[in-house]
Amino acid sequence: MDNPGGATASHQAMSAIPQSALTPDRFVGASGLLFEQAMAQTRMAVCLTDPTIKDDPIVFCNRAFESLTGYTEEEILGQNCRFLQGPKTDQDQVGKIRQAVKVESVAVVELLNYRKDGSTFWNALHLGPIYDDTGKLKYFFGSQWDVTDVHLAKAEERHAKAMAREVSHRLKNVFAVIGGIVNITGRSMDARGVAQKINERVQALGRSYEPTLDDAFLGMIEVGQAIRSVLRPYDPEGDRITFEGNGVRTEPNAISAVGLTLHELATNAIKYGALSNAGGRISVSWSHQTDRHERHLLVVNWKETGGPPIDREPAQSGTGFNIADTLLVHSRGVFERQWDRDGLRAQISLPIKR
Amino acid sequence: MKCVLILEDEPFIAMDLTFAFEDKGVEVVSTVSCREAFEAMERNAFDGAVLDVNLGGGETCEETARELKRRKIPFLLNTGDLNRAGEFLRGMDAPVIQKPTPAGEVVKALFAMG
Repeated sequence: MDNPGGATASHQAMSAIPQSALTPDRFVGASGLLFEQAMAQTRMAVCLTDPTIKDDPIVFCNRAFESLTGYTEEEILGQNCRFLQGPKTDQDQVGKIRQAVKVESVAVVELLNYRKDGSTFWNALHLGPIYDDTGKLKYFFGSQWDVTDVHLAKAEERHAKAMAREVSHRLKNVFAVIGGIVNITGRSMDARGVAQKINERVQALGRSYEPTLDDAFLGMIEVGQAIRSVLRPYDPEGDRITFEGNGVRTEPNAISAVGLTLHELATNAIKYGALSNAGGRISVSWSHQTDRHERHLLVVNWKETGGPPIDREPAQSGTGFNIADTLLVHSRGVFERQWDRDGLRAQISLPIKR
Repeated sequence: MKCVLILEDEPFIAMDLTFAFEDKGVEVVSTVSCREAFEAMERNAFDGAVLDVNLGGGETCEETARELKRRKIPFLLNTGDLNRAGEFLRGMDAPVIQKPTPAGEVVKALFAMG
């Protein structure tokens, strides 16, 4: 009979186990005793099943098998191995076991098994056929190894790696954006040499931050937090700007255009608007909206009150707003400004993916 | 090179690259999605392209990269994370410029291909 990877040699060893189901034939004496002790003491759980009996029951198990599964030998013998399976056991893996038994081959599978108390463990199961001297299938052996720790470590490692990748990706993007801002500013102020020097240092700093981990990065950014951070320096006492918005989240890339536009609005307010005197106030609100083409928009409203009365758009306010206009156009957004007498009213709207 | 395509969803990076190309007398068409990039390819004869890999909302530059390859237009990938680029882009022999790289260097790298 063909022996597809089976364990003819080990059948001698196995058959030395003086259990009721096993008939010692050749491997006797001192070696047999040693083997018996090893089998009893090994931490590897081992069982044998008898495929010649209906439903292939377990006919031998060692002590490690009992302590791994929580069942006693009396409860184990006579059972089919499937009694260790449960609702979350992967049936594909079970299929591999079934196939191995059917074609009498050796297989190694990892599957989730259940103990007597209902707790689970990851079982690295190694199984294969044992033939007798005539080449006739006699037993199937199974060795079980609890690899739960390995599984947990793998999952944690995967998670940590994914997180580190995400953070590193974000940081690189942030520093690429900073490089762009410095270059664009340097160009607009006719100071490209200075801009380049600044950039070199900023990028060096960026590289030094690359290995830093921070689990605050989750793929989407809360708009409100970003808006507050951008505007915080312009309202150190926290009593001039009021914020209103729900927990809108959006992609990080939408934030850079909104953030810079708000920066330009705040700079303008400090020079000419509601932050240029003692009593002015600004209200900033934001929300998700849907336009008539069913596109999702992030809309940010800016309203100044209590500043010096306004007759017309201040002549010098142009440059910063031009940069904001350009950025928003690139993001297919709109930046509208209305110079009301009691203060500037502005709206930023840009399409976002949700 | 006379005219290049930029596919980049981050406006600052796109602007910076645009200026850097324009400094070298190259015309730029800047796009933010594969759909826009395809439209731009219909209207322009590009000599090269710079593609950001992740375009937000799960979109990648893969379709545009395929089309550029089909049209035999040289391009390079400008990304902060090649691990997320996907099998197709990893398997492609397009050069990768890691973000952050100064725009001038990106321009030089593309010129070296054309």
